[in-house]
Amino acid sequence: MYTLLIVQLAVSGALMGMVYALIAYGFQLTFATSKSINFGQGELVMLSAFFSLTLIDSGLPYWLVVPGGMLFGAVLGLFVERTAVRLSLEQKGEGWILLTIILGLLGFSAAENIWGRDDRPFPTPISSDPLHFFGIDVTPLELSVAIGVLAVMGLVELFKRKTLLGKAFEAVSADRDAAQLMGISATRTIQLSYGLSGLVAALAGILVAPITTVGPTMASVLILKAFSVAVVAGLDSGFGIVLVGLFLGALESLTSFYLGSGWREAPGLVLLILALAVRPNGVFGKASIRKV
Amino acid sequence: MLTVENLHAGYGTSEVLVGVSLEVKAGTVVALIGANGAGKTTTMRAISGMIRPNRGRVLLDGRPVQDQDAAHIARLGLAHSPEGRKVFGPLTVEDNLLLGAYGRLPRFFGFRARAAADLKNIYALFPRLEERRLQTAGTLSGGEQQMLAIGRALMSKPKVMLLDEPSMGLAPIIVQEVFHTIRRLKETGITLLLVEQFAKSALEVADYAYVMDRGHIAIEGTPAHLREDERVLAAYLG
Repeated sequence: MYTLLIVQLAVSGALMGMVYALIAYGFQLTFATSKSINFGQGELVMLSAFFSLTLIDSGLPYWLVVPGGMLFGAVLGLFVERTAVRLSLEQKGEGWILLTIILGLLGFSAAENIWGRDDRPFPTPISSDPLHFFGIDVTPLELSVAIGVLAVMGLVELFKRKTLLGKAFEAVSADRDAAQLMGISATRTIQLSYGLSGLVAALAGILVAPITTVGPTMASVLILKAFSVAVVAGLDSGFGIVLVGLFLGALESLTSFYLGSGWREAPGLVLLILALAVRPNGVFGKASIRKV
Repeated sequence: MLTVENLHAGYGTSEVLVGVSLEVKAGTVVALIGANGAGKTTTMRAISGMIRPNRGRVLLDGRPVQDQDAAHIARLGLAHSPEGRKVFGPLTVEDNLLLGAYGRLPRFFGFRARAAADLKNIYALFPRLEERRLQTAGTLSGGEQQMLAIGRALMSKPKVMLLDEPSMGLAPIIVQEVFHTIRRLKETGITLLLVEQFAKSALEVADYAYVMDRGHIAIEGTPAHLREDERVLAAYLG
């Protein structure tokens, strides 16, 4: 029975870890094309969740709320690119770091003013009654998180491999100057990557909201975990990000069981420090570590 | 087809080009030779929009393009195969070629079918690329990467092609192969501006040539004319 309990904890934790992986994947997308990331991504997740909650309150069915919320996230991503990233990249500067943080703070204040400071439940039609697999309980809600994450990551990867636009995306990631010589607009591609990044981050918010509730601070912890996952896995391996996400999620769940829930955030931090100590370059890449 | 008038360009505050003028007529091969640091590559980069010229004009098929960005100039029909080849290492050979035709292919689906005939032509010219079409470009040898870079530029069906140092870092026998390819392209009537450090080989294939020195054109003329010029003989053909 004891082993079963451990497996149970690991599985539940790992399913949550998928959310970290999805947010980290959003970092990967923009880093690949522009070597920049949105440091206000957590607020983007939160704003998209609030927006989706408003859609639900307005009576829209859940199956329309999900794409609606994702679209909102994509628009926010485009907005971040236009206002905080493009100019500083054109000047080959590092201004995007500060600007994306500031945009995040603005988003946070906006959320407090529009939706208030309280955490609110996020209603979902997906059941929380556990299903039993070989003695382990998994709720459909947890499963929906895993399926949603894998589905959207799979679709984006398919887009990158099977369409010419996706290949252009890869070309800009590999060599921006050479891509421009092929007639591929680097600016448009970076825009696209920010749109996609916002889209997947919004989905992460919508998927996790029924479990964590929705509030202005809902994503502040999530985003730290996502950073850890992104740094540990490296910013170019989608597969690695899922693995590390699963691992970190399971580890957290076991840690909080054995050491008490106060220690829940410890594994992410330890993993991050270990990764930076052992493989400082294999992750963000040399130059960017200096930048960030 | 391509006219450059009084081009000034450089990096930051240092000006490398101080008034470059040259012309590439349709269907001709023009060589641009000169010592290291004379500004040959910078000239190429300023023409294709990789750096923005400070002054002067670049006319592509009679149309001024010096204020456009590189992606736009490429879509107007200028293919620049850059110094160092710059193939997309993580992508397959075939994907590299398809991206060469990016400007005229559908963005989502059906691009493979649309490009099939052109791919076939490139593979006829470079059978080695067909053998390796599913390999990633980063795993190719230097000579194969050069073939890929040329093939990729040809895929766009350019009005003018710029070819920068195709022999750079290659073994002598591969360099011969590269020049053999350039001669075959010339027979097809390509309009080509060629930058080369192997001045002798470049003059053999060219219809007209310019010699650069410290940021401007020092000497110009037909290859026969240049071969008899004492300055050229002493500096580049010795």
